[in-house]
Amino acid sequence: MVSALMLRERIKMMEWFLNTDLWHSIYASLIEGERWKMLLNGLGTTLIITIGAMALGTVLGIILALCKISKIKPLKWISSFYIDVIRGTPVVVQLLIMYFVIFASWNVNKTLIAIIAFGLNSAAYVAEIIRAGILGVDKGQMEAGRSLGLTHAQTMARIIMPQAIKSILPTYANEFIVLVKETAVAGYIAIEDLTKMGDIIRSKTYEALIPLLIVALIYLFITSILSKVFKRLEERMRASDSR
Amino acid sequence: MIRVENLHKSFKTNHVLRGINEHITQGEKVVVIGPSGSGKSTFLRCLNLLEKPTEGRIYVDDECITDPKCNINAVRAKMGMVFQHFNLFPHLTVLQNLTLAPTLLKLQTKEQAEAKARALLSRVGLEEKADAYPKQLSGGQQQRVGIARSLAMNPEIMLFDEPTSALDPEMVGEVLAVMRQLAEDGMTMVVVTHEMGFAKEVADRVLFMDEGIIMEKGTPKEIFENPQNERTKSFLSKVLS
Ligand SMILES: Nc1ncnc2c1ncn2[C@@H]1O[C@H](COP(=O)(O)OP(=O)(O)O)[C@@H](O)[C@H]1O
Ligand SMILES: [Mg+2]
Repeated sequence: MVSALMLRERIKMMEWFLNTDLWHSIYASLIEGERWKMLLNGLGTTLIITIGAMALGTVLGIILALCKISKIKPLKWISSFYIDVIRGTPVVVQLLIMYFVIFASWNVNKTLIAIIAFGLNSAAYVAEIIRAGILGVDKGQMEAGRSLGLTHAQTMARIIMPQAIKSILPTYANEFIVLVKETAVAGYIAIEDLTKMGDIIRSKTYEALIPLLIVALIYLFITSILSKVFKRLEERMRASDSR
Repeated sequence: MIRVENLHKSFKTNHVLRGINEHITQGEKVVVIGPSGSGKSTFLRCLNLLEKPTEGRIYVDDECITDPKCNINAVRAKMGMVFQHFNLFPHLTVLQNLTLAPTLLKLQTKEQAEAKARALLSRVGLEEKADAYPKQLSGGQQQRVGIARSLAMNPEIMLFDEPTSALDPEMVGEVLAVMRQLAEDGMTMVVVTHEMGFAKEVADRVLFMDEGIIMEKGTPKEIFENPQNERTKSFLSKVLS
């Protein structure tokens, strides 16, 4: 008797729990119409853009940094100008120009356009990070390398860069994390990245809080994983440094 | 071996070297003295083109190194340089500091370079430090590694820019001892130093520099016991007192 009553109570409680707006909203945002797949696809797009842009930004950033510290004046000017322009204008505007002006008459995949736009943007920041790291190495190191008959490039590769990397890595990692979040404006050119997907779900469910909260949590998850990984890497480098 | 003709060097409007003429022959030990800021380091650094002269010519083994066509890296490979602040490579072990350049420039195989490096380390009394990192060494030990690193390239000429100035007094001796040994072995050396004892004992010639020129030159005896120039006299009275 008693236990049957309690059971009924419990079922009632669970029903109440399941029927709240919260659960309904989570259900609508994720399960209904398999919307979790949309979010997963969005996340995939976000990561592809981030990783692609970071790769492009790193390669181009290294080149820009080397140009900026080189003795060849025109290279210096060009890279300084590029860095100043990119850092002095909003990335959304750069993205829109890339899409609506530069690639306007070409039929290029939008994700690729975003990779290029964010990559070109990131390059300017990466360049400054790398430049600061290189300039942070005592200039006696370059002189020692050159005095032994090594070329500038050899000294750079074998003596300067291995030392610069230690100060570059933490800020570089930070740039990576910034980029993950910055790609959230990809929706401006109708790319269905994580943010855009959250927004689409919002408009379909007429429910703003839950979809956007889920999106925010996914970003937070990704960035905190990245920051943990980089911190681990940094610690390992510091450990090998205190020999 | 090294011939310097009418060497001038300016940094922007600062005219640091004002016409230096000098001839250093094979096996000669030349010590450069003079007040701080007189251009001693700049002069030394022009000899291997770490500074680019604004005027004049420098010949090393009859090759004009101030000629833009000259392969300066090849010239530098046979001129060792020892720095005041050692400038060892902190990310490499002592042994790697010695073997990096010879192997990278393909002058020696890895095995040859390591054998040579160990021999050099034992010559400067540091064979047991081969696998240590520079920051684990004392200043005197670091500078001895610095000298060994230059020697690993089999240089014909060694340039020293105040090699003991950054050392604690008790470590000066061990570095000077290595340099003395090197001098005895017949190395051509150009040494900027404030160690007058070393100059008297080791130098074949002493150059007194002031205001970007060589004010006076001669044997240690001439310079230290019978200086002619007023500047030399006043400088020596300051440093020897
Ligand atoms: N890289 C440089 N840039 C500008 N000025 C320099 C540089 N190196 C040396 N000088 C200047 O040249 C002068 C001579 O310096 P230096 O050759 O180092 O003298 P010393 O070694 O005799 O003390 C100083 O006035 C110094 O400020
Ligand atoms: Mg000096």
